[in-house]
Amino acid sequence: MSSPDADGADMNGNVTILDCGDSALVAKAVGLDAEAGWRLVHALADALDAVGLTGVHDVVPTYDALLVEFDCTGTDHDTVRRVLSHEAARLGPHPARTKPARRFVVPVVYGGEYGPDLPEVAAHLGMAESDVVALHSGSDLTVRCLGAPAGAPMMDGPPFPGPVPRLASPRVRVDPGSVAVAGRQAVICPMPSPGGWPLLGRTPVRVLDLHRDPITAYRPGDTFRFAPITPDEWDDYADTSLAACHG
Amino acid sequence: MADTLTIRTAGIVTVQDLGRVGRSRHGLPVNGAADQHSARIANVLCGNDERAPLLEITALDFACVPSSDILLAVTGAPADVTVDGGSRPQWEPVPVRAGEAVRVTGIRRGLRVYLAVLGSFEADYLQGSCAPDTILGFGPVLRSGDELVLRTACPPLDHPFSRIPLFRLHAPVPRFPTTWTIDVTDGPDRAEFGDTGRRLFDAPFTVSPRSNHIGLRLQGEVPRRVTRGEILSRGVPIGAVEVPAGDELLVLHRGRGVTAGYPVLAVVTATGLSALGQVRPGQTIRFRHRTLDQAVTAHRTQRNAIDALRTRVRTAFDALRIRAQVGG
Repeated sequence: MSSPDADGADMNGNVTILDCGDSALVAKAVGLDAEAGWRLVHALADALDAVGLTGVHDVVPTYDALLVEFDCTGTDHDTVRRVLSHEAARLGPHPARTKPARRFVVPVVYGGEYGPDLPEVAAHLGMAESDVVALHSGSDLTVRCLGAPAGAPMMDGPPFPGPVPRLASPRVRVDPGSVAVAGRQAVICPMPSPGGWPLLGRTPVRVLDLHRDPITAYRPGDTFRFAPITPDEWDDYADTSLAACHG
Repeated sequence: MADTLTIRTAGIVTVQDLGRVGRSRHGLPVNGAADQHSARIANVLCGNDERAPLLEITALDFACVPSSDILLAVTGAPADVTVDGGSRPQWEPVPVRAGEAVRVTGIRRGLRVYLAVLGSFEADYLQGSCAPDTILGFGPVLRSGDELVLRTACPPLDHPFSRIPLFRLHAPVPRFPTTWTIDVTDGPDRAEFGDTGRRLFDAPFTVSPRSNHIGLRLQGEVPRRVTRGEILSRGVPIGAVEVPAGDELLVLHRGRGVTAGYPVLAVVTATGLSALGQVRPGQTIRFRHRTLDQAVTAHRTQRNAIDALRTRVRTAFDALRIRAQVGG
C-alpha cells in the first residue's frame, strides 16, 4: 500500500489508518511482527485515552488493529486521524509495555459433552485427541484483547500445526465457560451466546463478575494456562471465579 | 409513597437509554435504543437529559397508568396513542392526569415506539447504562403489573380551549416508508469484494425474521469476497455490513459483539442506523452509497434539528412554568 491511496488510507511509519464509516477509523499495524504490532495498537489505544480527545468515546485495540469510535458531531475524521498519526509517530515501532502480565490457570474438562468438537478438530489437524489437549494445555497463551461475546479473553491459539476452520453452521447457543479455538486464535466464551468456533472443552470457573468495573479480572497481556481436569472434579471449581495466580 | 407508572399491557417493552458507551475496550457492546434519533427526541420533548431512561416498545400493543400527573412524549414508529380513550399526537409532549390510561396500539410501518416521561423514572444500571444486554442477561423485559418509580411529578396542564393542542413544537419527524433507503459509506475491506461489491446497490434486500438488535439478516443478491485468507478478530463498528458464508448479508446493530472476523464491505451511516432500528422483518431496503462528507453532514443536520427542538422545548416549558430537567 502507498500513502495516501484512493481508499482514504494513509500511512505514518508503522500504522495504516482507514475510514470505517462516518463515526470510526481503523489503525492497522503494518510492517511489524505480531508481537510488536499488538503492542503498538494497545499503546496507541492507551495514548488516545490519555489525550482524551473530545468526541472519541471508544477505542478497541485487538491483535493488529485499533478501532476508534467517535461522535462525528463532536469531532471529525481529520482530527482523529491527525492525533492517531501523531501518537503513532511519537510511540515509534517498539513502545514499552506499561502493565505487568498476570497468569491465570483455568481448569478445563476436555471432550465429550464439554467439548463436542474435539474429535473434528483432531481429525482436521491429523492428530490424536489427546495430542490436541496436550498442545492446548501445554503452554501459556497470551490474552491479546477482550472481545465478543461479553469481554471474552481472546488469545493466541495453541501451537497447532495449522489453523482450525470455523464451524460451517454456528451454534445457536454455546454454554458459558466453553473453551474454543478458530483460525490461530483461542477463546473462552464467558456467557451463553451464539458461536461458530469449535469447542474443545469447558471450564467450571466463572469468567465474569458483573458487579466489578471492569467486569473481567484479566486484561490484554495476561497469560492463561489451561489445566485438564476430569468431569468428577467439576464441582470442586464450580462457583469459583477466575483469579490470577500468585507467583 | 413513591409515584409510579404501572404497566397494564406489556407487549414487548424494555427500559432503554442511549447505550453503554465507553466499554467497547472491555468487550461490551454499546446496545441502547435501536432508533437513537426517536429516543433522543422523546426525552428532549420531556425536557430530560437525552440519556435518561425511557421505554422502548416493540411492535406489540402497550398500556400504562401513572399514579400522579405526568407529562410524556411518544415518538418512533407511527401508532395510535390515546389517553383515557382520547387520541393524542406523537412527537409532542402530552399531559396525563393521575389514573388515566395511556395506550399505544397499532404500531405500523416501523417497529419501535419510544415513550419518555418528564423527569424519567428509576432504573437499574450496569457499567454506566440501563440498556439491556441480552448476552450478559442484564435488563428485564417488563411484564404487565410491573411498576416503574417516577422521579418527579408534573403539575396538571390544561389548555383553556381543549380543541387546541397545548404544544406545537415541530419535532423533526423521520419518514417511515414501506421500502427503506439505508445510507452506507464504503467499508475498510471494500476491495476484498472486487466488482461484486456493487451488488449492494443494484437490487433491494429483504429483512429476515431472524433479525434483532444484534444484527439484521438481509436476503438478496449478496456480494462475494474475492480474496481468501484468515482474518484476525478485530473491532468492528456498529453498522458494519458483513458477508458471512451463506446467502445472507449481516448488518451489525447496537447489540453487536465488539469483535468479529468477517470483511466489512460497507458501513451504515449514523442516520441510517436509526432508520434501520425501525425496519420490520419482511420489509425491503435499498442501500444508497454516500461519501463520508455526505454522511457526516446528514448526521450533523439531524442533531442540529434536535438541538433547535431542545431550545423550543425550554422556551415552551418556561412559559408554562414547567420545571424542565434540560441537560445533555
